[in-house]
Amino acid sequence: MAYVRRDAGTLTRAEQRRFVKALLEVKRRGEYDEFVRMHIEYFSADGEHGPRAAHMAPSFLPWHRRFLLDLEGALRRVDSSVTVPYWDWTRDRTTTSTPWTAHLLGGDGRRSDHQVTTGPFAHREGHWTLKVNVTDRVFLTRDLGRPGNPIGLPTRSELEWALKDPVYDTAPWDSTVTRGFRNKLEGWGAGRGNTAWRNHNRVHGWVGGDMLGGASVNDPVFWLHHAFIDLQWYRWQRRHRDARYLPATPPRRGDRQHGRIVARRQSLPPWDVTPAELEDVGRIYRYA
Amino acid sequence: MAVSIGGGQAGDGAPVPARPVPGRTRREAARALRFCAFAAAVTAPVAAALRTQRPGPGGAPSGTVFAETYRGRRIGMVWTPPHGPAGQGRWYVTVDGRPLHLMRRADGTWLSMVDHYCSYPSPLEAARAAVDALGPGQRLREPAQGPGGAGHMHMENRRGVRT
Repeated sequence: MAYVRRDAGTLTRAEQRRFVKALLEVKRRGEYDEFVRMHIEYFSADGEHGPRAAHMAPSFLPWHRRFLLDLEGALRRVDSSVTVPYWDWTRDRTTTSTPWTAHLLGGDGRRSDHQVTTGPFAHREGHWTLKVNVTDRVFLTRDLGRPGNPIGLPTRSELEWALKDPVYDTAPWDSTVTRGFRNKLEGWGAGRGNTAWRNHNRVHGWVGGDMLGGASVNDPVFWLHHAFIDLQWYRWQRRHRDARYLPATPPRRGDRQHGRIVARRQSLPPWDVTPAELEDVGRIYRYA
Repeated sequence: MAVSIGGGQAGDGAPVPARPVPGRTRREAARALRFCAFAAAVTAPVAAALRTQRPGPGGAPSGTVFAETYRGRRIGMVWTPPHGPAGQGRWYVTVDGRPLHLMRRADGTWLSMVDHYCSYPSPLEAARAAVDALGPGQRLREPAQGPGGAGHMHMENRRGVRT
């Protein structure tokens, strides 16, 4: 039977405790750092050569869907009652609301060095030492809302702007497309300032600290954020019943995207699974 | 398709998020001015000296080396030209002597491993944004030394990541 992913704000204290405990155990076993490493490895930019699976590509959504399922599998091997909760950042929008509470993810970083000093992932608790990182820092950092140069969370209307687009993605299937649900949700804009960050990307920027970098998986909010992004894909499918993942077929030889993106029935690296197979996961989990 | 740098998304119906605070525009303008002044002071004479060489991204000529101190951090940049017509050149960028991995977007803008979900018009601005994000006292990881680190060399070369 399908399990349920819940709004983080509705978890009971006991559910929060079990989720956190499972995360800490996955970290203790060394499995968590493999997720950090894998996310870095698959972050390829579209202005360079080579294939892209995780970002700046149509498979942004199925790649992260499968990535979440892998983490959730690791958590459920520790405690089969645990699922990944989602953070609804259209509703929980302050630096002290869910999930920034002492019993879930802990709070904002302190002013001096952005170190997270509260909650179960604070370095001094001894369970969350960063091992795979772009800096030599071993403690988790956050800079919620980036007070030094403030950035807002995406609004409900910005999310709606993505959801109402009836087309999944369009050529050239990268970070420059201005139409299509995928990039409107992933959030690569043009120019500087406010239009440069949208939805998914903007949330990474709002959390700041580790969430801003390639090793963003180091902050467990990564999973709560991506569960909410994953929920948007489900909502978009329900709204546009006939719409499917695009492209349906791979770009032809001679197309600049030939061999660089994953079409509907192509294998999604590093897994042996296709975007088509990940379009409906209703038998595995559902959202409450 | 490439989007011109600084180009907007006019006509796509995108909502404009609420302006965060006054002062941001001034800050950005100040940054842009600093960059222009820097570019004029540093790039132009070098470009004149090396005019015959193949230009790199952002108009920088081959072999360009420059450095600046930004918020107390030393940013160093060296442009390595592409090998052969099909190759891509690379900026080798350091902050306080440690490598900062940069990536390029299809619209020609740049992002770093430290500030990875937003891009900037030039490698130098991406490096400055990385400095902004690093936080006081934090340094990029040191490149692995000796044969012990060889197992991760591929990833380190590409990403500058501690593994």
